[in-house]
Amino acid sequence: MVAPVNAPHIVKAFSEELEQLSADVSAMGGMAESMVADALESASTRDAERAAAVVLRDRDVDNRERVIEKQIIRLLALRQPIAQDLRTCISALKIVNDLERVADLAKSIARRVPTLIESDPTSFAVAVDRMGKVVQSHLNEVLDAYATGNAEKAIAVWERDDDVDEHYNALFRELVTAMADEKSMIEPGAHLLFIAKNLERIGDHATNIAEVVHYLVTGADIAATRPRGTRPTAFDGE
Amino acid sequence: MSQQPDSRPQPSGADRVRRRDVVFVVLLGLAVMCVLAMSGELTLVAFVFSGLAFAALGLVYYLTAQGGADAKPAATVPQVMRETGPDSSELMIERLPIPILLVGPGGRIERANPAARSFLGLGAERGLLSTVLRQPRVLEAVSAALRGEKGASVEYSTVAPLESHVRAFVEPIRLDVAGPMPFRAMIVLADDTSSKRAERMRADFLANASHELRTPLASLSGFIETLSGPARDDEEARDRFLGIMQVQTDRMRRLINDLLSLSRVEMNEHVAPTGAVELSSLVREVVESLSPVARDRRITLDIDECANTATVQGDHDQLFEVVENLIGNAIKYSPDGSTICVCVFDDRTRDSAEQARERLTPDSGRITLTSPTLNPDQRYGVVRVRDEGAGIERRYLPRLAERFFRVDGQKSGPKSGTGLGLAIVKHIVNRHRGGFSVESAPGVGTVFSVFFPVPSGTKQPRESEGLQPLETDEA
Repeated sequence: MVAPVNAPHIVKAFSEELEQLSADVSAMGGMAESMVADALESASTRDAERAAAVVLRDRDVDNRERVIEKQIIRLLALRQPIAQDLRTCISALKIVNDLERVADLAKSIARRVPTLIESDPTSFAVAVDRMGKVVQSHLNEVLDAYATGNAEKAIAVWERDDDVDEHYNALFRELVTAMADEKSMIEPGAHLLFIAKNLERIGDHATNIAEVVHYLVTGADIAATRPRGTRPTAFDGE
Repeated sequence: MSQQPDSRPQPSGADRVRRRDVVFVVLLGLAVMCVLAMSGELTLVAFVFSGLAFAALGLVYYLTAQGGADAKPAATVPQVMRETGPDSSELMIERLPIPILLVGPGGRIERANPAARSFLGLGAERGLLSTVLRQPRVLEAVSAALRGEKGASVEYSTVAPLESHVRAFVEPIRLDVAGPMPFRAMIVLADDTSSKRAERMRADFLANASHELRTPLASLSGFIETLSGPARDDEEARDRFLGIMQVQTDRMRRLINDLLSLSRVEMNEHVAPTGAVELSSLVREVVESLSPVARDRRITLDIDECANTATVQGDHDQLFEVVENLIGNAIKYSPDGSTICVCVFDDRTRDSAEQARERLTPDSGRITLTSPTLNPDQRYGVVRVRDEGAGIERRYLPRLAERFFRVDGQKSGPKSGTGLGLAIVKHIVNRHRGGFSVESAPGVGTVFSVFFPVPSGTKQPRESEGLQPLETDEA
């Protein structure tokens, strides 16, 4: 039986520090999450100001990452945690790394918005939006799984990565076809391709976080315990 | 002496300590006088009188202190009377349907009323706020309030997995406690989802309706122009044009019906239905109503129920619409003389409800069009509709539930739909907190699955999460 994540500690201050660490990671997750949401929102409402605000917020996330990393190093040095506590520290370290990447990707989506809205709206905005929703729900669920220490939720997200890939592949093909058909689609199409790729990567980071959460809660590697089914094959274009 | 009669009943701890100090000082004074008298500085008469005065003073103070302490139990009666004030406001907050939280230093939730607990999915323990409410803007406002700065009202929204728009009022409260951090942050959450949705829905409806109705209207007006001009006396052309106009108006009527039904469903999407529906008898009803259409095309509707009955939580008419849409689509896109299988399963976990165990072909495309958030204890009743049609290309799968989306080649012809059927299915499924997924392999066929939650408490979870019932009779 695995001890619950928040089992009481002999040194009360230590268990409070660990709790605070998880809460800080969650808060950073919220920052990354809201950047993704705002970047996508700015793309769909064609709002360049909002996109610029997202770009600026990346620095906050970077700062937060450094603060949390310092906190973890301090914990490791002073408390020399083992077992569950060590896993808490290590997984926090891994997750903030992924979250920082997510924020970067959100920033790079937001950066494309000003150029994207120079061209006319395309019918692909809906598809990007839909893919964005799938990715956001994965990110949201995996952060929930982290906050509540729910390995099952993490597994569910991990197993659903295929969905994001399907969306990405479908969008890629359609965009390539549209760009081949119509010259005016090339510029917005290229930006949308990059946005879709960034979303796909955010989905991958959510999957990474799911693996870490699973490891944090159970101490076991997710891939070893649950074999993955057939994956959607990447198509010739890639 | 200094003791006022009205303050006697409840001397506070601090008062009593002060009186003891007075007694102590008096005794000290007596001792000093003793020393002075012994050394001959003070005459005996003066010493005796002042000593008596000191002793009397000390005695009086000591007695009031004792009396004050004794009086305390007697004073509990008026105190209880007065305490009903905070008690009743406590009860009121507990019963308030509006989520209210009190956050202490370090972002720890000190109090949360039941509404807040259910809104945030909070357990009984006092957790940290950022683990349940990650919104950076709310967290910023809370830490500002904890520093004693002015309160703020912030809005946040999440689009996935469930759309919600919430307004959070954060207000600092100064508590009368010792320590460096006397401020607490009070958070009141207000759910704006329905009004925001209604607003957007109206705009969407107008945009969709005008966009989709423009095509048939344009063709109608073109035919009317022709009929009233060059083709006025051409009987053959008139009959043909009138026929086309009939088709177009039918299409417009269907469109408007579907749009209305869609916006009705969307409007109530966040209100969970309460009825109970038995899926296999529902499927039988639908099959009965569609069998004339199927018979015309020599299509067999195989209700392979897999010996299952599943009672799910839902609105009968809406679930009927879902199953009718799915089977109707299957009939529409199947070749004549083929078979459509409809299966009902019971007691599935979310992930096993979503897709069948066996793939149609090893490289078939699978995608979840909508799904509920994972609750490991929730079980679902499933309806799967499998046809032997041409299948859907993989790249179109994510777009299936999109409004007005029709796969290329289905856009014209007598079979053309409004492109709203699956969008309606998706929204009904969302409203039921269920899921909707598709698997398709071009040339082999398509499987649509919808699943709805089994009301909790009616069934014991039969299997653990890892052991799902085998779907041997499905492949």
